[in-house]
Amino acid sequence: MKTILALATGLTVASTATAETIVTQWDQFAQSGISAAGPAMDELIATCQPSLGGATILRTIAPSIGIRDSYRLAVSAGKTPDLAYTWPAASVLAGYARVGALALLDSYYEQYGWDHVNDFYRGRNSHDGHLYALPMEQDLMGVYYNKALFAEHGVELPTTYAEFQAAAETFKAAGIIPVSFGNRDRWPATNTFSLILGLTAGLEAEQAVLFGDEPWTNPAFKQAAETFQAWANDEYFPRGFNGVGYDEANALFLSGRAAMTITGTWVLQDMIRGAERIDLGVFMLPPIADGVPAGTMWGEGSQWQMSASADQAVKDAAAAYLDCLTSDASRQVWVEKGHTVPIGTTPDELAEWGADPIVQEFFAAGLATPDSNFYDLHTTLPESVTQVLYPELQRLVGGEVTADEFLAAMQASWETAIANGERWIP
Amino acid sequence: MSKTSRHIQTLVLILFAAYALAPVYLVLLASMRSEADLFSGPLALPWPINIDNFLRVWRESGFAAYFFNSLKISAAVTVLVLLSAPLAGFAFAKMRFAGREGLFALFLAGLVVPAPSVIVALYGNLQTLGLIDNQIGVILPQAALLMPFSVFMMRTVMQEIPDELIEASTMDGATLFGTFIRIVVPIARPGLMSLTLIVFLFSWQEYLLPLVVLQTETLKPITVGAASLQGRYGVDYGGIAAAGLIAFAPIVVLFLIMQRSFVRGLSAGAVK
Amino acid sequence: MSDRTAYIFLLPALVLYVAFVALPIAQVVGYSLFEWDQGIIGDFAGLSNFERMGGDTVFWAALSHNAIWVVLTLAFPLMAGLLLAAILAERNQHVIRWMSAIYFIPRTIPLVVAGIIWGWIYNPIFGLLNYMLESVGLGGWTGAWLAQSETALLSLNVVGAWTFFGFCVVIYLAAIQSIDPSLYEAAEIDGAGWGRKFRDITVPLLKNSTLFLGLYAAIEAMRFFDLVWVTTQGGPGYATEVLTTHIYKTFFLVGDFGYAAALSVVLLAIVLAISSISYFLLRAK
Repeated sequence: MKTILALATGLTVASTATAETIVTQWDQFAQSGISAAGPAMDELIATCQPSLGGATILRTIAPSIGIRDSYRLAVSAGKTPDLAYTWPAASVLAGYARVGALALLDSYYEQYGWDHVNDFYRGRNSHDGHLYALPMEQDLMGVYYNKALFAEHGVELPTTYAEFQAAAETFKAAGIIPVSFGNRDRWPATNTFSLILGLTAGLEAEQAVLFGDEPWTNPAFKQAAETFQAWANDEYFPRGFNGVGYDEANALFLSGRAAMTITGTWVLQDMIRGAERIDLGVFMLPPIADGVPAGTMWGEGSQWQMSASADQAVKDAAAAYLDCLTSDASRQVWVEKGHTVPIGTTPDELAEWGADPIVQEFFAAGLATPDSNFYDLHTTLPESVTQVLYPELQRLVGGEVTADEFLAAMQASWETAIANGERWIP
Repeated sequence: MSKTSRHIQTLVLILFAAYALAPVYLVLLASMRSEADLFSGPLALPWPINIDNFLRVWRESGFAAYFFNSLKISAAVTVLVLLSAPLAGFAFAKMRFAGREGLFALFLAGLVVPAPSVIVALYGNLQTLGLIDNQIGVILPQAALLMPFSVFMMRTVMQEIPDELIEASTMDGATLFGTFIRIVVPIARPGLMSLTLIVFLFSWQEYLLPLVVLQTETLKPITVGAASLQGRYGVDYGGIAAAGLIAFAPIVVLFLIMQRSFVRGLSAGAVK
Repeated sequence: MSDRTAYIFLLPALVLYVAFVALPIAQVVGYSLFEWDQGIIGDFAGLSNFERMGGDTVFWAALSHNAIWVVLTLAFPLMAGLLLAAILAERNQHVIRWMSAIYFIPRTIPLVVAGIIWGWIYNPIFGLLNYMLESVGLGGWTGAWLAQSETALLSLNVVGAWTFFGFCVVIYLAAIQSIDPSLYEAAEIDGAGWGRKFRDITVPLLKNSTLFLGLYAAIEAMRFFDLVWVTTQGGPGYATEVLTTHIYKTFFLVGDFGYAAALSVVLLAIVLAISSISYFLLRAK
C-alpha cells in the first residue's frame, strides 16, 4: 500500500530532507466526535511520512476556536509553526503575507502542478500576485430543510425569492419557525448576510465595493441589509436569536420546530447524525434582487500555510507532504474517513467513495448554480473590519440600528482599514 | 420584634437561599437527564437517576484529564505561594529594612492588576521562555498574580504574632529562618490553612490564563474544558451540566467542610 | 536583623512577582507607544494609540458599562448582603452557619461555569426563566434577556450579584458580631424597633465594611472578564462590552497589540487610582 501510494504521489521526495528534519504542524482536526477528521489526519501522516526522505511530521492539534488566535500569537512571538492548517483565507492570510510571516509557495505550485486549485481558489490564497497557501477542503452555503414539514404544509421547494417568502409565511402561520437561526456566537450572521448580499447585490456590485472605490453605503448593499433585517422583523427567525447559540439553532431545526436553516456544509455530519429524527433535504437560496444570477458561496474551509522562517529542507519536506495530502488517494481518505470534501473531488467520486447521499445532494445543488461565487465576508474583510461587522450585524438584525446606520458604521471601519493598508485584493 | 416581621425576615432569608441554590439544583437536574429529554419540560424530575452523562464526559470527553490537570495546576500554584508568601509577609510584618515601604507599595499595587491587561506582554515572554503549551507557563504567572493578595494576607497574620516570642527565640541563638520555621509557622497555622484554601480556590477558578497559554487538550484544566464543551457538544446540556458539576462540586464540598478557614481567608483585611 | 536577611525572605515572592507581573506591566506600557501590524512591532507611535481612544465609541461604551456595573453592584448585592447579615445576626449559631454557607456557595463556583449555568436560565428558547414565567401565566414577561440590549447588562449583573452577595453577607456578619451588644440593649430600652436599630446602629457602625466592599466591588467591576466572555462576548452589539473584553478582542482577534496595550494601561491606571483612594480612605478612619 505504501509503495503504491509513493508511486501515486510521483515519488517527489524532498531531496534535502534528512532524518533530522522535523516539520511542526498545527491543525484543527478533532480527534473525537462525530465529524472528527483527526484520525484521518493521523492515517495520512503515517502514509505520507515515508516518502519525505526521512523527515518527520510533528503534529499539534489546536481546536478550531483557538487556532486562529493562537496562530497570531505564535507569529508575533516569532514561533510560527512550520506548517499550519488554519482559517480563514484571503484577507487574514494576506495580513500574514504582508508582514512577511509566510513562505512563498509559487515554485511549489509549479513543481507539483497543483492544478486542481483553480484561479478562484488561487486568488483567495494570494497576496500581491504570489501564492502563500494551499487550500484543501471546500465548503459551501445552502438551505437545509425539513422535507416532512414542507410536504405536510404543501410547500414546494422555492425557486424564486417570492416563493421563499411565501413558504416562510406559510410556516409562520402554522406556528412553525420558518428559519432556525442563532447568533449568540456572533459569527453566524456574517455567513447569512454574505449569502443575502451576494443574492441581492450580485458579484459585480460586491467587487466594486470590496476591491474598488464604491462605498458600502450603496443601494444594493442597503437592500441586502434591509432584507436581512426584514427577515428578523417578519419573524422568520426564532425569538431571541441573538441569544441562541449556533448549535442550538441547528438543534432547533433538527427537533422539527423549524422548517429551514441556512448554513454551510461544515455541519453536514452533525446534521446527518441529527437527521435520524427528520427527513433532511437541501436547496439553494434563490436570487433575491431582480436580475441577479443564482449562486452561493464556495470556499476552502481552511488552508495550509508555511512559515517564512522555516529552513529550506523543512519547507521542501513540507511541500512534498502537502502534495501527498492532496493526492487522489489521500482525497479518498479525506472523503471516507475525514468526512470532508477536498477541492477537485467530483460528484462521481463522492458517489464512488460512498459519501452520504445528502453530502452528494448538497454539492450537486451547489454545482448546479451558475458559475457565480459570492464573497464570504469572513474571508474577504480584514480582522479589524470583521470585529466591527460582528456586533453591527447583531444590532442590525436585532432592530437596534437601521440599514443606513449599519452601512455607515461598516464604511467607517472599512476606510480605516484601507488607510492602514489592510485591504486584501486577489 | 413582632411575630409577623420575624416571619417576613425568615422569608427573606429563604428567598435568598433559593436564589443561591436554584441554579445549582438546575445543574444537578440537567446532569442527570439525557439528550433526548431536551425539549421536554425543563423541571421534570430526574428519574430514574442516571449517571450516564458523568461517565460519558469523564471517559470520552477527556474530563478525567481536565480534572487532574486542574488538581495539578492548583496544587502547584498553592505550593509555590506557600513557599514564598509567608516569608515575605513575615519580612514585611516583623523586619525593618531599607525600602520596606516602597516594596510593600509595589506588592499592594499588584493587588488589583487585571489579568487581561498583563496578558498582552506575558504571552510573548512565555513564548521566549518556551512555556507556551506548558502547564508551568500557567503555574508561574498564576502564582505571581496571586502573590500580592497572599503577601498582604500573610503580613496581617504575621503582625498578630507577639514580638516577644520571636525575640526570645533569636536570643536563644536560633537563626531568623529557624525561628520562622519552629515558632512562627506553628502559630500562624490557621492563617496558612486559609491561604492554602483561598489560593487553591482562585487557581481552580482561573480561566483566561490557561485558555491563552495551553493548546493541547490533554493539558487543559477543567474551566477551559467546561467552556469548550459548549462549542464542541452543542446542545448536549446533560453533558455540559455533568462537566460543570465536576468542575465545582469538589470545591463546594471542600468549602462546606472547611468553611471557617475559607471565610477567614477571604475576609482577611476587610474587618480590621 | 540585617537588611540582607529581610531581602532573602522577600526574594522568592519578589522574583515571581517581578518576572510575571511587574515586568509585563512595564512592557505593556512600552508596547502602547508603538505601532503594531499582525502582532509584529512597527514604528514608534508616541501617544497616538492613546489619542485613538477619544474617538473609539466602543471604548467609551465599555467604560460606561463598567461604571454601571459598579452602581448595580452597590445597589443590589451589597444592600442585600447588609440586610441579610443584619437579620442573620439575631438567629442562633446553627442558622447563621448554614445560611451563610448557602449564600456563599455561588462564590466557590468558577465564573465560567456560572456563566454557562445562567446562560441556560436566560436562554430565549430553551431557558428556564421563560419557561417558569410562562407556567405561572406571565407569558407576556418573557424575554430574550441576554440577547436584548435593554436587559443584557442587567441580566448579567444578576449573575454577578449571585456570586457576590454571599461574600457581602460574610463580611458584614463578622462586623456586626463585633458590635458591642450593649448598644442594641440601650436602644431597646429606649423603645427602638428592629428597623430603627438597623438604621441608627448597624448601618453607621458598618461604614468601614461598606467602604471596603464598595471599593472591592468597584475594582472587581473593572476587572471582570470570564462571565461576559462565556455568555455574550460583549453582545448583542456592544451592549455588554466592558474594558477587558475590548482589550481581549483588540489583542487576540484584531491583532492590534499597540492599541490593546494602550487600553490595558488605561485599565491599570483606573484600577490603581481606585485602589489608592481606597487605601487612603481605609487608613484615614
